[in-house]
Amino acid sequence: MAPPASALLFLIAATAIFIAWIVIRPGITSTRGGKILAFFVLFLMPLFCLGMGTSYHMERSKQTQFCLSCHEMEPFGKSLQVDDPAHLAAAHFQNHRVPADEACFTCHTNYAMFGTFRAKLHGLKHVYVHYLKTPPAPEAIRLYDPYNNRECLHCHLGARSFEEGAVHTADPELLPAVKANRISCVSSGCHETVHNVATLGKEKLWKGGS
Amino acid sequence: MLSGDSMERRVQFAGILMLLGLLVEAFCLFWTRPIGFVLFLGIGGLLLTFGVLMYLLAVLSRHHPEP
Repeated sequence: MAPPASALLFLIAATAIFIAWIVIRPGITSTRGGKILAFFVLFLMPLFCLGMGTSYHMERSKQTQFCLSCHEMEPFGKSLQVDDPAHLAAAHFQNHRVPADEACFTCHTNYAMFGTFRAKLHGLKHVYVHYLKTPPAPEAIRLYDPYNNRECLHCHLGARSFEEGAVHTADPELLPAVKANRISCVSSGCHETVHNVATLGKEKLWKGGS
Repeated sequence: MLSGDSMERRVQFAGILMLLGLLVEAFCLFWTRPIGFVLFLGIGGLLLTFGVLMYLLAVLSRHHPEP
């Protein structure tokens, strides 16, 4: 769990004051007590600040508003407000099937080992493209890999609406194939409208929530 | 300002690097855009790491008189 910003700021300020004291009076490090103090102030506290800061930034980077702060992502944020339950991302966001303040991360992280780490690496690549390359138009943005059903099943597996839904159980082969990722939830004609950024202008938007 | 003793001078230099790193860290706390995360790790993290390494170098390279 990430520390609150005020606690982190206090830690940074306290560390900076102690470091400044040692920089101004380096002679105190020649005594036994001074050496112990220097070890805390110049080794443990900076590393603690770095660790806590990284944790804070990692948590903050999961927030929906963080992802939508780049203009390329604005249409994707707008697609969460489409007033149509057939739009998968909008229906999940508006009905809080995913946490509204971590909507992007919840669906677009990889629920496997190092999934969060991989998501952050992709994020660093996005920052690189945003500032140093020409970002693609929003409608041309594609996923790195086809969307894996694992990410849907992370929540839906075992849920009554999923396991006993009329369409899901009409064909006895369907659910095993979906669970084995042989039939995609989103690209096999079932839940294919996700973020339709190309046709957003024609959609009616929901005004609530935000 | 800088001490005449080489070990103390290294400690001072390490402290200055860390102060700069902490300044960047504090600044990035208020920057909610992705570039804030990159600067926090790329500049702040690097300055802090170099500062800590310089402090360790100063401690390890300290001259110990023969008993």
